[in-house]
Amino acid sequence: MIQVVDLSFSYTKNKFLENISFEVSEGEIFGFLGPSGAGKSTLQKILTGLIKTYKGRSVVNGIESKDFRNDFYENIGVDFEFPSLYEKLTGRENLEFFGSLYSKKLRNIDEMLEMVGLKNDGDKKVSEYSKGMKSRLNFIKALLHNPGILFLDEPTSGLDPNSSRDMKNIILQEKKTGKTIILTTHNMADAAELCDRVAFIVDGNIKALDSPHNLIMPKGASKISYTYLDGTEKTGECLLSHTSGDKKLQELITSNRVLSIHSSEPTLNDIFMEVTGRVLQ
Amino acid sequence: MRIINLIKGDIRFQFKYGFYLVYAVFTAVYILLIFVMPLVWRERAAAIMVFSDPAAMGLFFMGAIVLLEKSERVLNSIAVSPVKTGEYILSKVMSLLFISVVVGITIMLPTGTKSLFASVVGIAFGSAFFTLCGLIVAANISSLNQFLTTSVPIEIISFLPPIFYLFGYDSMLMLIHPGCIIISLISGNSKHLFLLSAILSMWLVVLYFIAHKYIRKMFQNAGGVSL
Repeated sequence: MIQVVDLSFSYTKNKFLENISFEVSEGEIFGFLGPSGAGKSTLQKILTGLIKTYKGRSVVNGIESKDFRNDFYENIGVDFEFPSLYEKLTGRENLEFFGSLYSKKLRNIDEMLEMVGLKNDGDKKVSEYSKGMKSRLNFIKALLHNPGILFLDEPTSGLDPNSSRDMKNIILQEKKTGKTIILTTHNMADAAELCDRVAFIVDGNIKALDSPHNLIMPKGASKISYTYLDGTEKTGECLLSHTSGDKKLQELITSNRVLSIHSSEPTLNDIFMEVTGRVLQ
Repeated sequence: MRIINLIKGDIRFQFKYGFYLVYAVFTAVYILLIFVMPLVWRERAAAIMVFSDPAAMGLFFMGAIVLLEKSERVLNSIAVSPVKTGEYILSKVMSLLFISVVVGITIMLPTGTKSLFASVVGIAFGSAFFTLCGLIVAANISSLNQFLTTSVPIEIISFLPPIFYLFGYDSMLMLIHPGCIIISLISGNSKHLFLLSAILSMWLVVLYFIAHKYIRKMFQNAGGVSL
């Protein structure tokens, strides 16, 4: 669905994006992870055809990005991080207006509002919405014309845990309908849960690209940590694959003196830090 | 039809954000002012009022409209929609042209005009001309202060020669200035209507291409995501 080959772009003489290559298959959720200024925004502008002066190739749905005509956007949905809504119009009026810009058959507005828990708020002005309600309205605005490719920017940002869970379920549901989803998030737990593959972008380069599972597993084995009493409470730690070699642990188990024992895996955040030397959260 | 939906959306936006209410009040004030003036002043006063306000409202309002759209980030969504730059411009021009003509006629009718048709043509051209000027300015600014400082020189250049023209400096050379043609038409001068309309049309074409360039750039800057 998306092929990017040796893509480079610069705003000035210095290269901003350099030799970016990746592919996204139809029906895949692909995550962009990286700190602010890493080049994700610029990359998205190229993918959505807004920047045309790049070098290399960027092919979306079979069309080179620089050759997009306006009807190309009939099949693209973008959910921006910050709401892009007319504050003095109601939620429904916003959906009706933005929906009217597409020639495709729209999804049912009432069903969409109900899907994100805004069934009873559709006729309120957006200025009366909470931050989370605006995010949810913004999200369904991007889905209204049933696009084949979705760009989601921090879709769970500002949502309470229940709404965040609902949003992630909807994203997974949309994936099941065959949509290709480009997800940009700082939330590593969301990325690990939702994305089939993620790309770590730092300083205009892709530093790593794989499934969250494949990125995590080779980089750091699971560990166990345990506590025991030895005068005061003490902590021990060893790799899960080396438990038989930890004499202290053996001794504690034999004498039933283990107070607590936990296993833990490195998170995607740990791997991001290790690979890029940067912190996201 | 997307352009019709865009125009309807713009009219709804202008209504909801109180632009029409403001103009209803202004229109009432203008008519009142005209009727307290001596009879001999009325015709010129009405022409100046219609020229400087309903016709030129695009210059003032476009700054407010585009700044509101920028602050509410709706341009981001429009940039990644099938809307073409030309459709966006046309929608803004047509939506303001509609209210300009309605308000202009409401002010001109009670005072009388030599040719209502010429007046309507003048108001319509004036509205389109100043809306395009307003769009060019608004596309390049990010605050109301910037808009005011940028639009004041345009106001001076656009408004002073037409007022001089109306008060006697009515040489044919002045008709190079689009504002002079517009005020001449608004005041009901139907002489050379076709020629004057053709000159104004050329001005509009030039302004359209300049506006297209800057609005396109504005969309390119707006359409990304801030990550």
